[in-house]
Amino acid sequence: MKKSEVKALASMPLQSPTYPRGPYRFFDRKYLLIRYRTDPALIRAFLPEPLEPEDDIVAVQWLDMPDGEGFGAYSSTVQIIPCRLNGEPCNFINQMYVDNSPPLAGGREIWGYPMKYGKAVLAVNADTLTGTLHYATQSVAVGTMVYKHDAFRADFAKEGEHLARTQITLKLIPDIDGTPAIAQLVAVKFQNVVVHGAWTGPARLELIPSVNCPLADLPVRQVVGGLHMVTDVTLPYGKVVHDYLAK
Amino acid sequence: MTPEQILQLPSMPAASPSYPMGPYRFINREFMIVTYETDKDLLRQAVPEPLEPNPEGQVLYEWIRMPDSSGFGDYTESGVVIPCLYKGEPINFTAQMYLDDEPPISAGREIWGFPKKYALPKLEVCSDTLTGTLHYAGQLVAMGTMAYKHQVAPGGVEAQAKGMTRTSCNLKIIPDVDGSPKICQLVAYNLTDITVKGVWLSPARLHLIPHVNAPAADLPVKRIVGGKHFISDLTLPHGRVLFDYLKDA
Repeated sequence: MKKSEVKALASMPLQSPTYPRGPYRFFDRKYLLIRYRTDPALIRAFLPEPLEPEDDIVAVQWLDMPDGEGFGAYSSTVQIIPCRLNGEPCNFINQMYVDNSPPLAGGREIWGYPMKYGKAVLAVNADTLTGTLHYATQSVAVGTMVYKHDAFRADFAKEGEHLARTQITLKLIPDIDGTPAIAQLVAVKFQNVVVHGAWTGPARLELIPSVNCPLADLPVRQVVGGLHMVTDVTLPYGKVVHDYLAK
Repeated sequence: MTPEQILQLPSMPAASPSYPMGPYRFINREFMIVTYETDKDLLRQAVPEPLEPNPEGQVLYEWIRMPDSSGFGDYTESGVVIPCLYKGEPINFTAQMYLDDEPPISAGREIWGFPKKYALPKLEVCSDTLTGTLHYAGQLVAMGTMAYKHQVAPGGVEAQAKGMTRTSCNLKIIPDVDGSPKICQLVAYNLTDITVKGVWLSPARLHLIPHVNAPAADLPVKRIVGGKHFISDLTLPHGRVLFDYLKDA
């Protein structure tokens, strides 16, 4: 392969790039989002400076993505810390688990989504919207929510706003000698957000301590509530909002 | 978390880094390598300039069992390695790799540019047959078989250990946040502290099934050269840049 063709590759490997170029449109992307109160001192410890904590509420969300352009069909579990950057409200993506290599590699390499391989499932089991996560064979998270109890709402403006909130990731890529080559805070905002449906209701969340999947390091003190959504969104490229290596 | 703490992190996520700092020590790492000849024009396509593919048109298809790997755990890998020349010197180019464990996928891609994807490889002894299989996205894409320890390789463990010091390289591509290339390099490394515990040559066969996202069969098998089976301890250190496409091309 010619050098000019090498430079034009979207990703490794040369013979079959793991992910194509973005942006990436998701259809029928389903959410179970459970907000809960945790220990503010732990939030401060996890949140990279210069991000500032917002309050003592964080969230764990399950995503079912049956149709992701370039990525296929997969599921994910994400831990989010709402925060502020220079006064602007943001969501810091603290941990993320997926069961599919293109979004895992693309997520880490493009934006710095902190993805590891975990088996997330979001399913309706009888009367219960149920999210589960297994990491290295063990159950590490179970979230449950009532199913469409407030079924007749038509105004999803608030949910649209939630989805449009800036996401912040900490992108770390080592150089070949192990020293940091990239150490940045990256911002990305969903575009063309369509909310097909959104429901709120009671929820419960169980997080089980596991060293390589430490969602439970931000323990559940009190569940605030559940949010169930069906959406279409576009994930565009991001922008660097802080560079830790800049002199 | 302070900027000083962030710059000390070996990897993402900050809350529990995928992989620690290297080097990485492997104990009882077991290889089955089937060497075969393929189409030379296709091989040229699969090798990035300025590397030159070996003139014989040979490809190495590998399975590797890694039961004890520091920082990474217990996992199995399978993939395609192409013997090449760089400025006339022999070098192995890693073209495709499939494995069942996230830390070595992320570390492999992010540190050295190993072209790793998630899949389910297996290497096991099935009655009289050393058997490698690879499933990608639910489908069988490669099946290799080798007779079990028919002949100790000429030169034994010393010659094998010496052969394993040969330089290997990868094409490391990491995009910037806008999708443009941020890192685009040929990265070289050499294994160190190699102990070979046994090495055998035996007849082998290889079956590659076309699959768009695991395209080992894009380098079709024309003739089997032979199979090699060996067990070793070794260390994978950090690497060095051999060629930088953003600066040198």
